[in-house]
Formats: sequence, C-alpha cells, structure tokens
Amino acid sequence: MTAAGLLLFATLGLPLGMAAAAISPALRPRLLAALPLAPLPGLLAALIAPAGLQVIAPGPLRMVLALDTPGALLLGSAAMLWSLAGLYAANYMRQDRRAPRFAVWWLLTMTGSLGLFIVADLASFYLVFALASLSAYGLVSHEATPRARRAAAVYMALAILGEAFLLLGFVMLATDWAAGNPLIVDAVARLPDSPRAGVIVLLLILGFGLKMGLAPLHVWMPLAHPVAPMPASAALSGIIVKAGVVGLIRFLPLEPGLPGWGIALMTLGLGTAFYGVAVGITQQHPKTVLAYSTVSQMGFLAAVLGAGLEAGGGATAVLAAFYAVHHLLVKGALFLGVGVVAATGRRHLPWLLAVSAVLALSLAGLPFTSGALAKYAVKPLFGDGFTGAFASLAGAGSALLMLHFLRRLATAAHKDPATSVPLGLLLPWAVVALAAFIVPWALFSAVSGDPLAAPMGLAALWASVWPILIGAVLALVLAAYARVVPAIPEGDVIVLVERAAPLGKRLGDAAERLDGGIRQWGVAVAVLAALVLTLAGALAFAG
Amino acid sequence: MSAGVLLVLALTWPVAGLLAMLVAARHAERIALASIAAGCLVAAATLASVAGEGRALDYVVGGWLPPLGLALRADGLAAMLLAMSAAILGLVALSARSAFAVTDDPAQARAPFAFWALLLGLACALNLVFLGQDLFSLFVGLELLTFSAVPLVCLDGKRETLAAALRYLLFALVGSAFYLLGTALLYGAYGTLDLASLRLVVRDDASTALAVALMIVGLMAKTAVFPLHLWLPPAHAGAPAAASAVLSALVVKAPFVLILRLWFEVLPGAGAFAGELLAACGAASVIVCSVVALRQQRLKLMIAYSTVAQIGYLFLIFPLSPGPDPFGSLGLNGGVLQLLSHGFAKAAMFVAAGVLAEAAGHDRIADLAGAGRAAPLSVAAFGLAALSLVGLPPSGGFNAKVMLLSAAVALDQWWIALTILAGGLIAAGYAFRVLERAMAPAPEGCSFGEVTLRRQSAALALAFVALALGFVPLQPIGLLSIGQGVSP
Repeated sequence: MTAAGLLLFATLGLPLGMAAAAISPALRPRLLAALPLAPLPGLLAALIAPAGLQVIAPGPLRMVLALDTPGALLLGSAAMLWSLAGLYAANYMRQDRRAPRFAVWWLLTMTGSLGLFIVADLASFYLVFALASLSAYGLVSHEATPRARRAAAVYMALAILGEAFLLLGFVMLATDWAAGNPLIVDAVARLPDSPRAGVIVLLLILGFGLKMGLAPLHVWMPLAHPVAPMPASAALSGIIVKAGVVGLIRFLPLEPGLPGWGIALMTLGLGTAFYGVAVGITQQHPKTVLAYSTVSQMGFLAAVLGAGLEAGGGATAVLAAFYAVHHLLVKGALFLGVGVVAATGRRHLPWLLAVSAVLALSLAGLPFTSGALAKYAVKPLFGDGFTGAFASLAGAGSALLMLHFLRRLATAAHKDPATSVPLGLLLPWAVVALAAFIVPWALFSAVSGDPLAAPMGLAALWASVWPILIGAVLALVLAAYARVVPAIPEGDVIVLVERAAPLGKRLGDAAERLDGGIRQWGVAVAVLAALVLTLAGALAFAG
Repeated sequence: MSAGVLLVLALTWPVAGLLAMLVAARHAERIALASIAAGCLVAAATLASVAGEGRALDYVVGGWLPPLGLALRADGLAAMLLAMSAAILGLVALSARSAFAVTDDPAQARAPFAFWALLLGLACALNLVFLGQDLFSLFVGLELLTFSAVPLVCLDGKRETLAAALRYLLFALVGSAFYLLGTALLYGAYGTLDLASLRLVVRDDASTALAVALMIVGLMAKTAVFPLHLWLPPAHAGAPAAASAVLSALVVKAPFVLILRLWFEVLPGAGAFAGELLAACGAASVIVCSVVALRQQRLKLMIAYSTVAQIGYLFLIFPLSPGPDPFGSLGLNGGVLQLLSHGFAKAAMFVAAGVLAEAAGHDRIADLAGAGRAAPLSVAAFGLAALSLVGLPPSGGFNAKVMLLSAAVALDQWWIALTILAGGLIAAGYAFRVLERAMAPAPEGCSFGEVTLRRQSAALALAFVALALGFVPLQPIGLLSIGQGVSP
C-alpha cells in the first residue's frame, strides 16, 4: 500500500484510536489537549494524495476508501476546521469536569465525519454516516441542562429517522447487486434505469435532507446547534451538516441528470433558503440565528444540487463541494467568534465585530470574500432566467439575516468592558477566519475553470452587491419594526409536533391494553386454538 | 465416523458434569465451568469439521439406523447453533461466578448448586434439540429444556418469581401437549418420526396440515411470539440476570429452530398464506412489544419485552425464503444471523443490566443517572448490545436487518420492510431511554456501589461478539447450506 493509502486509513484510524485510548485512565485526562492532532492525517491526505486514489481495506472490514476532487475539497477543509476547533476546545473546555467524555464523542464524531468524504462503498458509507450522526449526540447533550436534554432527544429521534430512510434507500439501491455491497459509483450509475428510481431518490433526499436541515426536517437544527459547547456548535453547523451534502453529491445521479427530481430538489432548497431567513430574523440568541442561517444556506446548496441534477453535467459535484467548503469555514469561524465575543469586553469589541461582519456578509456574497467566489462559481447552474434571479434573491435574505445576527452579536459581549479574550480562543478563531478568506481564493480557478479576475468584473461585482443592498434595506425595516416581529420558539414547527404527544401516548396505551388483554390466560388459550385452526387451514388450503 | 463422535460428546459432556456435581457438590461451580469449557471445545471442533469438510456430520447411536435407532446430525445450521450456545453459556457462566459462588453455609448453598446444575441441564437440552433428527428425541430435548429453564426463573424463591415460573411451566406444557399431539398424528399417518424419512413420504392432506399446525403453534407458544407471549415478560424479568441472559438468548431460540426444520426441511414449499400468517405474528410481535418495551419503568422488564419483539423478526423470514433452496436465500440467512446476534446482544444486555441493578440497588430506568460513572463498561456493553438490537452498524443485528430488508424489497413484501424499519425506530427509542439516563451526570447525593472491571467484562465480551457478527458478508453464507437437500 502506498503512503497516500496509509494516510487515508490514518484519517479514520487516528481519531478512532485516540477515542479508544480513553479506556486508559492515564491517557484519559490528556485527550482534550490532543484533539487538534487527530484530524491531521486527513488534512495531509487531502493535500498530497493524488486524485483518483483508491485503497481497499484488508480482511473482513470490506471498506473501500477513495479520494476524488469533491471529497478532497471537503476532507481538507473539514480536517482544518476540526483541528482548529479542537485547539479552541482544548482551551474552552479546560475547566469542564466532563471534558474527557466530551473529547471521546468529539473524536468519534470526527471519525465519522471525515470518513464520509473518503469511503467509496455503500455499507461503509452507512457505517460512517451513522457514526457521525449518533456520536454527535454526545456533543449536543454535553451541557446536561433540561434544554440540552430536549434538544438532544429531538436530535436523536430525527437522526434515527434519517437512518431509516437511508437504510431503505440504500437497500433498494443495492438489491440488484449479487455482491451485497457495491461501490457507490457503480450503484448510482444504474440508478436512473432502476424501476424504483423515484422511490430511491425520494428516500435519499429525505435522509440526506434531514441531515442538511431542509424544511420541514430542519427542526432539530435550531435546537441542537446552539445548545452544544461553542467549538462543538462550530463543528456541527460547519462540518456535520455537510454529511447530507456529501451524501447528495455521492448518491444523486448528477452527471446523467434526473429531470423532474432536479426541479423538486431545487424548489425544496430555495423554499428552505427563504424559510430559514424568515424564522431566523425572529430569533434573539446569536447562536440560534446562526443555526437558522445554516438551515438557509444548506437550502441554497440543495438548490444548487437540484439545478445541477435537472440539467445534468459533470461540474455540479465539484461546484457544490466548493460552495460547501466556503460555508464550512465561514460558519465555523462565525460560531467560534460568538465564543470569542462572549469572552471579550466592550473595549476590545469593535475590531472583532468588524471581522465578524465581513465573515457574516460573506455568506450573502459580499464582493472579494469567499462567498462572492462561491456564488459566482455556482451561478451558471441556475441559468439567467427566473431561477437565477430567485437564487440571487436568496443572497438578499442572507444579508438580512446576517445583519440581524450582527446586531444580536453586539449585545453578547462580556459584561466587564475591560476583559480581553484568552489567546487560546482568539488564535484558532483568527486562523479559521483567515482560512475562510484565503482557501476559497486558492481553490477558485482550479475548481471553476475561470480566471481569478472573473468574479471581480464590474457586472459580477454588481451582481453580488445588489442583493446585499436589498438585504440592508430590509434590515433597516426590520430594526424599525422589531417590536411587531412575532417571537417564534426555537425549532418552530417542532412545537406543533410536540403538541401531538398525547396522541402518541394514546397509541402507547392502546398497545399496553392489547398486550395486557392478550396475556390473560383465557384469551391466550383461545388464541392458541384459533391459531392452530387458521394455520392448519392455511396449510391444507395451499395443498 | 471419528468426527461423528463429537456429536455424542456434545450430549455427554453436560451429563458427565452433572454426575460429577452430584458427587462433589462443593465444587459445583468449578465443575460447571470446566464442563462448559469442554463443551466449547466440542462445539468448536464440530463447527470446524462441518465448515472444513463442507458436509454434515452424522452419527447413528449404537449402529441402529433410523427409523429404529437414534440418529444425530450436525448440518451447517446445527453446527453454528452449537457454537453459539457454547459461547454464550461460557461467557454468562463467567459473569455469574460471584452471584452464584458456592458457600459452605447450607442455607445459602442451594441456589448456587441449583444454578450450575440447571445450566448444564440446559446445555444438554439445547444440544439435543440442535442435533436430534427424530421428532421424539426432539420432544425429549424440549422437555428437558423446559424443566431446566423453569427452576432458573425462581431460584430466589420469592412469591412473584414462583408465580412467574408456574405461569411459564403451565404454558410450556400446553405447548408440549400440542407438539406431542401433532407428533402422534404424524406417526399415525406415516409410521415414522425421523425427519429425513418424513420428508420423503409426507403428503399434502388435511391430517398432515393439522399435525404440522399443532406442532408449529405449540412451538410458537414456547418461543413466546406475539400473541403467545404471556409467560415471557414476568419470567425473564424476574429471573437472576445470568439466568435471564441464557433464557432470552438461547432457550426461546431452540423451539424456533424446530419450527425452521419442520417448515423448510419437512414441508418445503408450504403454503404462501401460512407463511404470511407466521410473519404477521412476527410483525405484531415487533411492533406491539417494542411499544410496550418503550413504556416499561423497569430495566429488566423492558429487556424482556424487547426479547419478544426481537423474536418477532425471526418469524418474518417465512415469506422471505421462497424457492427450492431456502437455506441459500437472503431471508433465511438474515433470520439466522438475527438469531445469533440477538443471542449475544441480549445476553450482554441482561448481564449488564444485572450489574447496573446491583450497583444501583434497583432497576428503575428513571433513576439510572450516574450509572455510567459507576459501571462504565456495563453501560458500554449495554450500548453496544443496543446497537445490534436497533440494527445500527457495525453489528450482527445491522447485517441481519439489511439482509431481511433486501429480501423483503426484492420480493416486494413492503409491509415486512416497513415493519423491520419501524421496529428499529422503536427499539432505538427504548434503548435510548436507558442510555440517556445512564450517561447523565449523577444527581447530588446519589450513590452507586463500585463494580470491579473484571465483573463487567463478560457483558462487554458478549457485546463484542454481537458487534463482530457485523463483519460477516452481506450475502448468504455457504455454511447454512451444508447438509441441506441431501438425505443421509
């Protein structure tokens, strides 16, 4: 096996091994400080491994690892954020008595999330997807407050539901394969011809859309992301939501296209993009606003994938991954920034807010930022018509939401005006923020095929400025009418679902009554006799 | 011929252990452990021989050929089951050492002795059921199984466990009576009880249908599938943890294996409607008992209801294994894998629950907060076992579920596919309830007893086996087909 192949295995092996090291009482307390090291093999693999690399794990593991361009983009940026957020966590969680527990869940979640970008066979994909989903429970529930318990329970319920959608989808995708566990590319190549293509695509969109937070399956996200410790929020909202993105990139037949389903996904995505803004501007806590922004941004990304699926073509996967890289780094920096601001007094605040403002508006496509590059790169997929205009308007929504976020952020500073943030928090945040600017610039030409000057032409600049101007005007309107904005609870429609709890209780009662009735002696013996007669009849009837 | 002796050894090691125990009662624990270790070797050798040679092991006791004599036979299925039961018995026995340590105090000595003796009785009965080839020795095996299992339920002699044991005994006897009645009908019609001979002469007529229906329903009563599960929850929840582990993991599986043999070996091509009827019972088991498990306040009752639910999956295979080669089908292979992985996972869960209950002094799910700190390996074992029961990777339960789902999808049995998925969702709910509490920080003033790591390791080992079963290929394995379709 080549060195690059070993690196791919170490991408999974190192964090997993470190999590296993928690069994040792001697190593357990040191785990937190070592978190920044765990994702380094993944980062290295993304940088040096040749594209098209494929390695097969020996023995009963039946795992095939591969690295392609979208995978390498996501792997590299995710590993970078994992590492820096780990450094942040090592300082942020230092006083926490339960930090070793946090570190173990962190490492397991990381293993799953990095694995998603490099596994190439169906069964392993499901395995790492489940690992990332389920381990993140430990991050969401860490604070152990009633609010965290509720968020974690909702998170878990929906994660398991998503697993069920995907399991059925994957099984249907693989039924025609004698081998039982085909490579994803091979299975997807046959998807458009499958008689069950419609159901399969629906299940995939449900399963992955749930992870991305597409409305109305987004309800867990505004509950779960804000309630986790700060670095975990950054990882959840920056990286873990990309599990759904990479799922759609890998499993939708993007290259041949699937007309009809593309429109459906695009509609769902754009709807979510605006829905996230509409509910997000009613929220008060900066982390919750950011969570709704993730809902909105993932909606936009789903629309990108939908547009690509409708038209078909080889570029969609890489462009969507590029957009995802932009969001990953920016959202990571924004969440870490909330923690930095919270530890900073008013006196040191202005320049922190300035950096946060540039990051935040980058999500709306502010010129010269990564957002402008990302939006420019995916724009051709939407075309110039109605959908293109609609997609640009999503930028206006983002600008509105982000300006609202900045106003809320300004109120979240430390009470003591002279407090300055510890270097252990400031440094990782600053590096992520810097990476959010630099990395997309470095990748832009290679990914889009356009020269770097292209997004800085006058037409392109105007195209990215006008949505922000609209957003700014709307933000002024919002500020003026702040009092009449309704207070929508976090998780919005989940509240309606929770009202249906008595119905669930009635169903449970009914099951218990049925069980109690059938376990009466008289009933049981009667059932026994009836069963014999029915079965005998069925057997005789067949003959 | 020489390898065939293994089959006789599989029946004689528990008997030899029992005899030795009667002579040296003070060493009951050591004798039991040594015999079980020997049993593990016998099972491993049998499995190695069957898998290596690629054909079934046969042994005709005393040289008398059927239908007169007694034949033993280990095909692929039997060899796997022998190995599973030996491994589970061994690990559970290790976990039970401190709870059933033999003492010199005569007032305390009865329960440990009874436990170890009954464990060997169970081993003998299970092996007879797995290896027997005629309906009468299978009946003997089933009876021995019941009479070894029932006292295990009421080892502590409390009033409610006695009531549970009596309930178990009565319903098992009703099941036996049905089975015996069916056997008598078959003997009257065909003059033989040998499975292989029956297969050659069996006719499609009303009396055969009635006989088989009686036997299958009798066995279903002993397997405790919905709606015939009235006895299981109190019995399995009331027994000591180690006993519950073998009861749930092994004892209820034995009658199911007989149903498999009757259905696929004696009556290949039984009616589709009858298969759907059995699957409907299984589906009702999965859904209703999972929901009831979700609502239990007591940990062991929850696990007991989960057993009924998980057994339901086994009954889904009857419509999923059509065609001339059921033992090569995805459905039957998935079902057998479910049987194996549920065995290990459920044994792990009961043993871990026993440790948790002992550390906490109670088994109320709502008050388990802090257990994760007091008995971390037990909570980990519970969690890993839950992975398999819910059907999440990597675990045998996941592979089993994928295979059953694939079979259901390929055969357009959508209601079965939905049952499997829904069952997994509800199982996640009941497992989550326990784990969420157990991993929560302990409230003020809550104290847990310390449990040594060694005592927790047996449950973890059992859970790891359930996990390791997740690395078998996701397709029919050849081992199950060994010894099928060839008359001895």
